Amino acid sequence: MNNYQLMITADDKQVVLERILQVTRYRGFLISGMNAKVNTGTNVGTIELMVRSERPIELLVDQINKLIDIKEVKVDNSASQQCIA
Amino acid sequence: MTTEKKLTGASLLFNVLEQHGVAHVFGYPGGAIMPIYDALYDSDVEHFLCRHEQGAAFSAVGYARASGKVGVCFATSGPGATNLITGLADALADSIPVVAITGQVATAAMGSDAFQEIDIFGLSLACTKHSFQVTDINDLASVLHQAFAIALEGRQGPVLVDIPKDIQITEVNGCLDELVNLQNKVKLPPANVGSAIALLNQAKQPILYVGGGVGMANAIDELRDFAKITGLPSVSTLKGLGAIDPEDKYYLGMLGMHGTKAANIAVQECDLLIAVGARFDDRVTGKLNEFAPNAKVIHFDIDTAEINKRRIVDASILGDLKVNLPALAIPLAIEAWKKVCLQMNEDFAWDYNHPGESIFAPAVLKEISDKMPENSCVTTDVGQHQMWAAQHMVFDDPSNFLTSAGMGTMGFGIPAAVGAQVSRPTDCIIAVSGDGSFMMNVQELSTIKRFQLPVKIVLIDNAKLGMVRQWQDLFFNGRLSETDLADNPDFIMLANAFDIKAQMITKKSEVSAAIEEMLEHDGPYLLQVKIDAQENVWPLVPPNTANDKMMEST
Repeated sequence: MNNYQLMITADDKQVVLERILQVTRYRGFLISGMNAKVNTGTNVGTIELMVRSERPIELLVDQINKLIDIKEVKVDNSASQQCIA
Repeated sequence: MTTEKKLTGASLLFNVLEQHGVAHVFGYPGGAIMPIYDALYDSDVEHFLCRHEQGAAFSAVGYARASGKVGVCFATSGPGATNLITGLADALADSIPVVAITGQVATAAMGSDAFQEIDIFGLSLACTKHSFQVTDINDLASVLHQAFAIALEGRQGPVLVDIPKDIQITEVNGCLDELVNLQNKVKLPPANVGSAIALLNQAKQPILYVGGGVGMANAIDELRDFAKITGLPSVSTLKGLGAIDPEDKYYLGMLGMHGTKAANIAVQECDLLIAVGARFDDRVTGKLNEFAPNAKVIHFDIDTAEINKRRIVDASILGDLKVNLPALAIPLAIEAWKKVCLQMNEDFAWDYNHPGESIFAPAVLKEISDKMPENSCVTTDVGQHQMWAAQHMVFDDPSNFLTSAGMGTMGFGIPAAVGAQVSRPTDCIIAVSGDGSFMMNVQELSTIKRFQLPVKIVLIDNAKLGMVRQWQDLFFNGRLSETDLADNPDFIMLANAFDIKAQMITKKSEVSAAIEEMLEHDGPYLLQVKIDAQENVWPLVPPNTANDKMMEST
């Protein structure tokens, strides 16, 4: 099981946070933590997402990137780590 | 362009639809969408009343797939909206551009568990490419433009726009914004053409693996040129059928669970697999880690997320197939391999010799395929008849074979045929169905009657849920559970009740005349073809098995 931290920047549109959470769950990643700033009136939402999975993180990054309102998804390698499950 | 003329939100919707060239919509009215249906009264858009919202969604899908245009469907709030969901999920799985408009309770009532209120916006997240809920009338035109742009850009898909009732009746300046032309927001990396060309040149036994993305990209000509110039033997997915020239003698047919023996063996033996608009679906690959085990892979796609999703590739070519296929079209020195493929095509050709007087469904479908007029469009439901149609009918364009591939939705065929017939009124539209699937959206016979659509229905009837029965026989020790449909209605009487001419045949000797009568009939027609309930679809790759370990009989 690997831990990853994603830094997501999005157009601050309707339900963008729900969309990210739905895709994350459906694609086989457990959410272990989150820090989100959305609906701030700045038109930009920022979401830090901590996830766990046995699947490669690229699969999730690609799927989140497909969401219409997403501007950028970065994997924070310094905060991501492999753990012995 | 903003005009001074005041319009209601509902009227503005039709202005935008007409701006996008929408001439036909499929739908069903109800309380929360009544202002839109009132505005329809004054619109030039032609509305096709379906008899269930699922039928409306599938008709929109069939319309889109047969015409290449966006399909549009309407439903009211609550149950109307939830009834659309299966159709939207089907469109998402097969990447079909559909815009669904749902009425919603008034914004003041939202979140109060109002009558016919459901959070369709929330429900839409898993079954649409994108969705909107309009809560400000000033956003309506922009949202609708975006909906059409998103449905069509990149990998196509369904978009839902939920419009509360008060937004539908609020007045706004008539707004005919410029059409939105979305730039592909995902910046694609440069195509890895150099390494792909090297792989092509090194390959001794390459295979072209063609998926539904070719038709969606409108890249049929580019694909056929690519196949011709390279000389590549080819195989097709279910949704890719029709993309390769059916006269191409190196075309080996469909691969996968019910693929041809030649296609599956060739893929298993190939040393290079060139996937074009295909996604390594589990019904294609069988046991994934034994799929094309010796092959390197070049993957052409518009969707970055499909690269390395199920199979790690050696070169990815992202972007428009119309541009990228010609860039890699080089002659290849693979004559020995082409001869092997040609020989397999001969050795493993279909055998239509079938003992006895009972009707052999593959032969019926082949005969229909041989006799149907040029540019006919065939829809199917899901099950044994679907696989027989895929195996034994010949299509010269993917828009002439509409089948629920990714979602595998029973009940797709009849409403999809309605949509196809509306979009192509002069073409012959044939719905191949099974007795299980037919009953799932049988109410759409009423839509056929209402609009006098000359859809031909071929009902392959074994009084069983045939594919499930086949699997129960093969993999569940013959324990037949809930697959017997001996209590089916009288299908001839049922068709006649909708003013549809119908005939039942039970013997081989009746087949040819019945097909001719059906095809020559001016209006809608139902041909019920009784077959032996024990007939199976062959070949069959058992679950979690490599594709070359197929079963060919019991």
